[in-house]
Amino acid sequence: MNKKTVLLYILAAALAACHQQPQQQSAGVEGDTVNGSPLPERQEGTSFFGSNVSRNQFPPVYFAYDSSEIQSSETGKLRQVADFMKRSPNNIILAGFTDERGTDEYNRALGERRAQATRNYLISLGVSGSRIQTVSFGMEMPADPGHSEAAWAKNRRTETGVIK
Amino acid sequence: MRLLASFFLLGLSFVSALAQSSNSPVITIRKGTAVVIQVKEVGGSAGANATAVLKNDIELSGFLSLGDSASATIAISGTAPGSGFSGQATEKGGSVVLQKSYSGDTRRAVHQFINDLIETVVSQKGIATSRIAFVANRTGHKEIYVADYDGANAVQLTHDNVISVGPNLSPDGRKLAYTGYQSGYADIYLVDLASGARNRIIKYPGTNTGPSISPDESRIACTMSKDGNPDIYVTGINGDSPRRITRTRAANSSPTWSPNGSELIYSSDERGGPQLYRVSAGGGSGRPISTGFGYCTEPNWSPDGKKVCFNVRSGGSFEVAMTDLESGSTKIVTGEGERPAWGPDSRHLIFARGSGLFIIDTISGKEARIIGDLGPISEPTWSH
Repeated sequence: MNKKTVLLYILAAALAACHQQPQQQSAGVEGDTVNGSPLPERQEGTSFFGSNVSRNQFPPVYFAYDSSEIQSSETGKLRQVADFMKRSPNNIILAGFTDERGTDEYNRALGERRAQATRNYLISLGVSGSRIQTVSFGMEMPADPGHSEAAWAKNRRTETGVIK
Repeated sequence: MRLLASFFLLGLSFVSALAQSSNSPVITIRKGTAVVIQVKEVGGSAGANATAVLKNDIELSGFLSLGDSASATIAISGTAPGSGFSGQATEKGGSVVLQKSYSGDTRRAVHQFINDLIETVVSQKGIATSRIAFVANRTGHKEIYVADYDGANAVQLTHDNVISVGPNLSPDGRKLAYTGYQSGYADIYLVDLASGARNRIIKYPGTNTGPSISPDESRIACTMSKDGNPDIYVTGINGDSPRRITRTRAANSSPTWSPNGSELIYSSDERGGPQLYRVSAGGGSGRPISTGFGYCTEPNWSPDGKKVCFNVRSGGSFEVAMTDLESGSTKIVTGEGERPAWGPDSRHLIFARGSGLFIIDTISGKEARIIGDLGPISEPTWSH
């Protein structure tokens, strides 16, 4: 981290403090860097919907509309994942999804941003970024095919796939 | 000696150009009004087909409109023997505006004639020979389709039964890049449409999506997340030597090239709701484009460089908007539609709405459905 980045960081932290927005304590205040942590190489032959990935071991992490911020209600789920990863050698794939209320390509970027925010949070809990791959499906593969607020809330998510 | 010869040749061609222009009929055209054309029934075995294509091309052109012998400024006649088309456009006074023969497929030949007519009469680039591509869900899977600009000759390009999305046609319509999930991850594929050869060109860790082929077809701009965030990158045409353009902690998407290939416009939510930004294709910090809307996504830069069209959110659906990059003014083009794309004339847009693919004239507001029977449609792209 160069001097300029550090300065920006301090400035941003000061500004955040001024605005007193404790809800913005998500991924980012500690444990990640402004430029993000590079992803590891993909593990050959594994993909999120592949047969060698267990997708139901952890509950999905949910997001607010149009947001990639980790909500305080979801942090317990991620502590579970971090604890598991510290105990076992398995690597994971985080898949980001959105609800249908957005345009296609923006949703693919937003889904990836959600997966990366989730990954950053796990890194902040002490998990090595080299064990976490990401993928975004945007608004494809909804958990609930409905068109209600209840369905959309279930679709704005990151799912954790454990590579067996 | 050689210099002298070329000077002589130049002189000759100048004289012939002068001679031609003095014979040309004078047609007075007021800006914004279409030139009225009468289409006479085309002769030959494919005459009925050629007549229908002529009329449809005129209807969709924006620069021309259909009329009868009383209202028309120009009358078109021709023959379509089953292969090729010979057309003649005659001005009211009797002088010939354009007379030309084209070989090959009848539809294609008629499209070429109409483009030449538009070039001759209003000195504008027509859209009639251009190609489009889009995503359709007819099979229950999102697949890429290609078609002529008027929706004819629609062909399913991918048959992978996975998610194939975000197509982008090269300006000349010969190459198509898209996002495909065959590996289980989002990768970028490049297809040579003539040979059908396909290559997975961008397959970095994370998500690789939203390809946009540069005007000179030497580079691809896209979103990649290999460095820990979905940012904008520019690579070589085969995905080589990626260069990071944005460095944010936000969702950056849909880069689109300026016509000279020196700049990009993209959407980013780095300051809250997604907004449009403009950045040098070599990197640097993106400058926000003021549109007056809080949610701006899926930008597409017009081939004349003067405008950008994009989506804005309105309640539960999306409107198509365009911003004039010189004056800064923004207007809504249509109240419901997604992922607009400019045509070669920088006047028409295509966009998706439900199970329809539509074309709209941004000057007159005239709209027509060009695809309607392939299931839900999304993400159209248009060659230039």
